[in-house]
Amino acid sequence: MQRTLIWDVPTRLFHWTLALSFALAWLTTGSDRWLAVHVFLGYLMMGLIGFRVIWGLLGTHYARFASFWYGPRAALAYLRTVLNRTAARHIGHNPTGSLAIYILMLLTLVVGVSGFFTLGGEEQQGVFAGTISLLQSRTFKKLHELSANLMLLVIIGHLSGVVAESLLHHENLARSMLSGNKMAEPGVPSATSRWGVAALLLALILGFGFWWFYYAVDTKLDQMRGEQESPHVKFIGTPLADNPQWRAECGSCHLAYHPNLLPSVSWKALLAGQAQHFGSDLALDASTSAALLEYAIANSADKQLTEASYKIGRSLKLAEAPLRISETPYWVKKHRKITTAQWQSDPIKSKANCAACHLDADEGTFLDAAMQIPAAPAKPKASQ
Amino acid sequence: MKTSILACLALALPLCASANPILESYRTAAKQENPAFKDFSAATGQKFYTTKVGALSCAACHTDSPMAAGKHASTNKEILPLAPTANPKRFTDAANVEKWFKRNCNDVLKRACTAQEKGDFMSYVLSVK
Repeated sequence: MQRTLIWDVPTRLFHWTLALSFALAWLTTGSDRWLAVHVFLGYLMMGLIGFRVIWGLLGTHYARFASFWYGPRAALAYLRTVLNRTAARHIGHNPTGSLAIYILMLLTLVVGVSGFFTLGGEEQQGVFAGTISLLQSRTFKKLHELSANLMLLVIIGHLSGVVAESLLHHENLARSMLSGNKMAEPGVPSATSRWGVAALLLALILGFGFWWFYYAVDTKLDQMRGEQESPHVKFIGTPLADNPQWRAECGSCHLAYHPNLLPSVSWKALLAGQAQHFGSDLALDASTSAALLEYAIANSADKQLTEASYKIGRSLKLAEAPLRISETPYWVKKHRKITTAQWQSDPIKSKANCAACHLDADEGTFLDAAMQIPAAPAKPKASQ
Repeated sequence: MKTSILACLALALPLCASANPILESYRTAAKQENPAFKDFSAATGQKFYTTKVGALSCAACHTDSPMAAGKHASTNKEILPLAPTANPKRFTDAANVEKWFKRNCNDVLKRACTAQEKGDFMSYVLSVK
């Protein structure tokens, strides 16, 4: 038995980058704040799978699919031998591990593609922006979650296999995936390091990462220079309807809240009650009032044009007509962690000031990625 | 625009201010309201602008100077300057002016303004340089 290189460097780099990406993606699930990171990891993992397919055809001996082209029957048969502790040692991938690899690669694609559709529908971002409605994307979101959970199960299976095999054959398989080496009989095929390919892969990963997160550095620099922050991820979907009259009439006293943020029953009540609009008589003439109502109804939350519309509408009881967006249960739930002190602080000041945190408030899209709680001025120490 | 500036340069200030057609329509209305009506007064308008009713006044939101930008009392939204000297779009659309008088008179005075009050107010704001 002699120390032999089994796993080439690109394969190891692929393995650990994919593993780390999955872990980080799992941790950033459902977080508005870390959505940009979550999405980055999605693209990265898809890219890694793409690389692995190529490397499965062009890589060194044990990286090639040809060296671990086992079917499910072989995988089950091998699993049985592992369970009764008679499993034969494989220098490369064993049949059960191979099946896990194929399943994980396939699941990565399912998780990734369903994630891109979710992103396209909910946030109108990414490769599928504008191709799918919010309601259609709900199905993809379920698939995204289901397949990610399934992937976690397979990973747990994979880890159990690594532990079981390591114990059974008295070798540390995890360390082999780090060093690339295993003890093998003389004469078994060995791999070559392929540092050049690994360097290229690493350069691609880092380059993509730098390109993706450049905004974070740029935003900080802009802040230091006192410039306006730009959204984390730019909105690239279909813009919502805009109306100059709506902007002029509503926007003279407050943000011209986009009509997609309240159901049509609310807009009807607001315009019918325009003579007592939160203490003011709006003094709108009949034709203006009618034109505003027409625009509002055509773009109200009932139409479910955005994630916010859908969720605000869903949170209301049938025919419930709140007059303030901030009275809808979804709004209340989404803003529950913001303290009274934060609301009153500069530059927020008012619950009506959506634009203080939502960089896209004026467009009405309210994307997760365009939300930034502004840096609070130096806080006096809590005195409780 | 150019001719009106030239006219302003050539004529005395009060005449220049009263060239606004919206102000002229309030003059007609004021005469109908009160047969004893003589003229609008920028000084009365200034007093009206700063007089507080409860916590509110014109100046409460529009600031002490009609030349400056203000802030909406409850929403904190910026209000562009009132005086045409600082914001030439002001007092150019009669329906819009009437809408805002109706709205803001109700806000501050809890009643509609008279044509006299509107004319005095406008005379003051138009005269601010």
